[in-house]
Amino acid sequence: MAGHASGAASHDPIVRALARAIGVLPDQGPIGVFIHHNTLHAYQHLPFHEAVQQGAALIGAEPYLGIQQFRELHESERIESVDIDRALSEYLGARDAEVGPLGITLHAAWRTFLLESVELTDAPGLRYQIQHGLSPIAKDLRRWRAAEARVAQGPMPVDSTVAPPRRHRDVLHQLAARDVDEIVHPELVRLAAGFLDQGQAAVVLPGRSRGFLSAVASLYAAGVRGPRDAAATAADFAALVRDPQPARTVIRQTLDALGVDHEATEDFLIATALALPGWAGMFSRLERQPAERVGDVVPRLEEFLAVRLLFERRAVETVCAEAELPTDWTRLRALVPATQAVDPVDATLVLFALARAAGYSAEAISELTDAELDACWALRSSATALRCRQVFQEAYEARYRRQVLDAVAALRPRALRRRPAARPSAQVMFCIDEREESIRRAIEEIDPSIETYGVAGFFGVAIDFRGLYDDVPAAHCPVVVVPEHEVHEAPVSSELDWHTVRSRWRAAWNTMERSIGRGSRTLAGGAGLSFVLGPLAGVAAAGRVVAPRSTLMTRDRLLARFLPRPTTRLSALREEWSASASQRGKAVGFSLQESADRVIGVLRNIGLTSGFAPFVIVLGHGSTSLNNPHESAHDCGACGGRRGGANARLFAELANRADVRARIRDAGIVIPDDTVFLGGLHDTSDDRVQLYDLGAIPATHDARFEAVCVVLERARRDSAQERARRFEDAPLGITPREALAHVEARAAHLGQPRPEYGHCTNAIAIVGRRRLSRGLHLDRRPFLISYDPTQDRGDVLLERILAAVGPVGAGINLEYYFSSVDNRRFGCGTKLPHNVTGLLGVMNGHQGDLQTGLPLQMVELHEPMRLLLIVEATPASLLAVASRQAEVAQLVTNAWVQLISLDPETGAMQRFHAGAFEPVDVTAIALPEVERSVDWHGATRAFVPPALVRAALQDAPAETER
Amino acid sequence: MLIHWTLGLAASLPFLSALVLGVRVLSGGSRPSERFAFSVVEGGLSLSLLATTAVALQFGGVLGPAVGGEVSFGNWLQLGSYFIPAVALVDTAAVALALLGAVLTLLVARFSRTYLHKDPGFHRFFVLLALFASGVQFVAFAGALDVMFAGWELIGISSAMFIGFFHERDEPVRSSLRTFATYRLCDAGFLMAMVAVHELLGTTRLAELPRVAGLPSWEVELIAGLLLLAAMGKSAMLPFSGWLPRAMEGPTPSSALFYGGISIHMGLFLLLRVSPLLAAAPATEVVGVIVGLGTALYASAVARTHTDAKGALAHATLAQVGLILAEICLGFTTLATVHLTCHALLRVFQFLRAPNTIHDAHRIGHGAIAHAAATEAPTTGVLWRYGVSLHRLRVEELLDRLVVPVLALARRLDRLDRGLRRAFDRGAR
Repeated sequence: MAGHASGAASHDPIVRALARAIGVLPDQGPIGVFIHHNTLHAYQHLPFHEAVQQGAALIGAEPYLGIQQFRELHESERIESVDIDRALSEYLGARDAEVGPLGITLHAAWRTFLLESVELTDAPGLRYQIQHGLSPIAKDLRRWRAAEARVAQGPMPVDSTVAPPRRHRDVLHQLAARDVDEIVHPELVRLAAGFLDQGQAAVVLPGRSRGFLSAVASLYAAGVRGPRDAAATAADFAALVRDPQPARTVIRQTLDALGVDHEATEDFLIATALALPGWAGMFSRLERQPAERVGDVVPRLEEFLAVRLLFERRAVETVCAEAELPTDWTRLRALVPATQAVDPVDATLVLFALARAAGYSAEAISELTDAELDACWALRSSATALRCRQVFQEAYEARYRRQVLDAVAALRPRALRRRPAARPSAQVMFCIDEREESIRRAIEEIDPSIETYGVAGFFGVAIDFRGLYDDVPAAHCPVVVVPEHEVHEAPVSSELDWHTVRSRWRAAWNTMERSIGRGSRTLAGGAGLSFVLGPLAGVAAAGRVVAPRSTLMTRDRLLARFLPRPTTRLSALREEWSASASQRGKAVGFSLQESADRVIGVLRNIGLTSGFAPFVIVLGHGSTSLNNPHESAHDCGACGGRRGGANARLFAELANRADVRARIRDAGIVIPDDTVFLGGLHDTSDDRVQLYDLGAIPATHDARFEAVCVVLERARRDSAQERARRFEDAPLGITPREALAHVEARAAHLGQPRPEYGHCTNAIAIVGRRRLSRGLHLDRRPFLISYDPTQDRGDVLLERILAAVGPVGAGINLEYYFSSVDNRRFGCGTKLPHNVTGLLGVMNGHQGDLQTGLPLQMVELHEPMRLLLIVEATPASLLAVASRQAEVAQLVTNAWVQLISLDPETGAMQRFHAGAFEPVDVTAIALPEVERSVDWHGATRAFVPPALVRAALQDAPAETER
Repeated sequence: MLIHWTLGLAASLPFLSALVLGVRVLSGGSRPSERFAFSVVEGGLSLSLLATTAVALQFGGVLGPAVGGEVSFGNWLQLGSYFIPAVALVDTAAVALALLGAVLTLLVARFSRTYLHKDPGFHRFFVLLALFASGVQFVAFAGALDVMFAGWELIGISSAMFIGFFHERDEPVRSSLRTFATYRLCDAGFLMAMVAVHELLGTTRLAELPRVAGLPSWEVELIAGLLLLAAMGKSAMLPFSGWLPRAMEGPTPSSALFYGGISIHMGLFLLLRVSPLLAAAPATEVVGVIVGLGTALYASAVARTHTDAKGALAHATLAQVGLILAEICLGFTTLATVHLTCHALLRVFQFLRAPNTIHDAHRIGHGAIAHAAATEAPTTGVLWRYGVSLHRLRVEELLDRLVVPVLALARRLDRLDRGLRRAFDRGAR
């Protein structure tokens, strides 16, 4: 971001534009590793509403749900009137009770606008509806006619400004000339894809290591024709080969040729970059992230723009010549008016609604003075549709906030009454991920003597992990962290021989599969393989489509039987005396002290420093799905879009070592000798739970282990059942066993665009002890982060947690927010026509833009709300942390998250609003109670409000010694 | 007669299910459930497959004595002396295509049930799929060119509608229109050939086609050429290849079924059906071989440069289709039939798995990416070859250039027409 900031102040408008463009272009890397982030991250320094409105306007997207959607939510009582009124008062502040036009308060006038009369998009439609009695207005026709007549006589609202054209194409579009982008884009997309390709095409853009501009130039200089309507571009490129110029010079020259003067350059260039945001964004992203590149390709945004402008210039010349328009930007721009007259129906609607709210009769309307009319129009231009939606958004969030905070408050006395077991039968650590909420709740319901914890799913061990069959290590930790350690998975010595054989077979198989894939796309290979593999492919396709689950399960079972994966171990611990370093110069494994520090760090973070159970199970998570380019988006965000199994396994191994435990004891945490840590992986798609290194369990623990396994087995079925109610193709009332089979089939199905719903519906983050939420059915919506304020001196832990969780939680939440309010611009639309390109991402069809963000199928159930961050800490502690953590402070003060402080002692809650904490006004409610979760959610597919689940709040039975 | 019933059901049941679902959707009221839509179409397709299998068994002589050759259903239509005989022709090629079509359509229907779930176009998708299935059966078993043409059109229209499936965006609609226009242009060849055959032989029955041997060679060449034109459009041969990559705008399963599986091979099947005619037209055969091999070379070069999974696969498919065309024109019809069937199976599976590309790359590794061309200073030849493949010979522009004068003529005629109408109106007043 340093370059970004310095560029923004440059004298050269091109440099400024490039620096700004980086901020507004999508910042999504190659999709194989998907990292959630705030789509409008470049606007985070602004308050939320200002930021989304500005950002969306620049991109041409919608910042909120549509006003009609909000009105429907109000009608269905998802948004309550009381919340609208509060949000309105909060928005209007002191002006709330001010008397506005026609003698009604501003509050009432705005309310009318919100619920009835703004954003008229279809004047003829409304006219038709009124005429045919389809609109409620038809019942009040006299008043409507009067308003219509009055509008016709009086002053009209000032013309509304239209978005100014930003480049030639916008003007040409308005003047009904041809679309320049249709000439430029097919050409540019193919070139860009051929340049950036990461392994799909058999041949890539020749000479691409010399950069995009140079490679493209020599292509056309070699005699390749340009597109017909920009044919002269080929000569431009040939000239560039004879007399090479840097990209910025090319941009400047081309802009000059298009008549874009110095002053207009910055905006013009940004608009140009945003014309094909996906590809431009990928150039920009890979320019800044060398680690995500493949081969020796060095993409540069300025080169992409230079090539684009060269094509665009000639295309503009062709189209302008056809339409007999000037190519000079200053002259062309002057051809379109800057304002648009207001439709009389629009004005009538405003007057009608206000008059009705004010109780004016038809006669009274006809007698309105011009000044009164003008007052109405003044209000109309301040209460824009966008601002009304802003108020709606606040009301939408407020309703849910009330629901959750009331429930948290109501739970508290019950939670305090519960007597937890002196020694739990097991402790299970999960990732903070909201998808783990259901399985945690299920475990606690099935066995109330089990305690669960939530911690960022890399479990404090930031590693570059190389699995048994990986070529290179990959970072398993949050993206902001650069691991200092490498950990490798290797076969145990007794299985080295088998490993050697199996690897060889495996490599041969992979080579074969690759050759088939490539060969089948060649002429001879395609013919040969058709005869050999065609019939087999038919059988395979039938199996995979008709019985996906059994086909895959049979295959896996056969593989496990005849070609079992060798038993492995991790290079977890590094001897003090060895200077063992990897090829990349990183330490392989952790030293004794480092290991102890990692374990202590996590245990302190979650407040698990005493009362260890016989089993501490550490479950990372990942997700399996097929035919899903967005598969990685379902993996663990805390592991950088990868699976957390290796981290969990490593953590357990470190915590089990006697020498590490000795050091941990030195730090004051005593882990009993009979406590066993077990690592594992929970698959959030097929709800499989896999535990590693079961050899670490001593014989004395066999019976207890079996009991724990039974609980886990039942819990994953319950979790599958709870998830299944959200899938419309699974019947309501499905049994846990059927549900498990159902989700397994989803994960194995090639034709399943919704293997799971991912982070969809996320809305809350609770940082605090589990007793704040244990026994509360929160419908898989909260990130749950364990934190014990009583063990945190000086807010050290709180700072560490918020610094990590704030940005990650907000990033996920905001990506879902934007992808669901405008799925086509911020998200990537429906998955069904997606076409994977260059292993980089997806596009629609064969030569469109790279589609970034989340697909419709991932966000369709989402309620776009800002994260409700509830922290068990006093306002003073939170302010202290914010003063030290700039990014957290930015998210909170600019209201990108809603921060609630919950006092650890009293449970009193305060909400951070407009720069200060203010008490939350909690309504005492009787929380609905059910015995088991399924009793609450089992009968509906819709969101369920919080409820108390008794089973999870039972006193734990005293442990009997076995 | 069992053969009549089974043939009739094989072709009409999918159409019937499209009709039932279509009428139910259009009849207003609440939209029928997805389950209803799927069941109706799946039922139609399954029964159609059953009937096709029964035809195949009868043809193979498993159910009583072997049945083969022409099966007459009387006349479909009679207008004075012109009549369309409703006649089927049951032979190896017909049975092969019918089975292939029925199996693959049913498979894709199963796949799409979950894939299209919750899409606003769910019902439309299944109506189109059923229409397509019916079209395939018509083409496969048609014993006369007229009957075949009916099925041919069903396939064409459903193909175009699938490409424009996501009609809320511009690009699919534009691509759909372009495909449709290409189809229409080439279908004109089919239509003209049909009329010519009827004129010259007095019938369009396929069984009578060998009689063309008695006609003057230029007439045979003309008819064969027209049919070749029809085949070239449907099978995206050069110079009509431009629509094929555009067809990737549709949902993945329909891309698989149409451009990996059945529709793209339909032109070849037509030529297989009229192979006696083709055999009597050596010049057309030469043209066919040139077009086929040319397309094969072109498409495999394009497939190498394409970076998108579906586009690369579509061109790889096209290369084989070109090759099969050459096989047919060289007279290797049995080889061509086997090649066609195996190829369709392979490509459907590959297309259905196309979104898995990234997953596969992670699983089996990228391997040695052929970066031979990524050298510092590529030669002019390398550059030119790459550029030409990347821009697909600019076939679309080429076609556009041919169309421009036609459009200009049409516009002039339109102006004339309006002028005349104005003059008439004035005269009437």
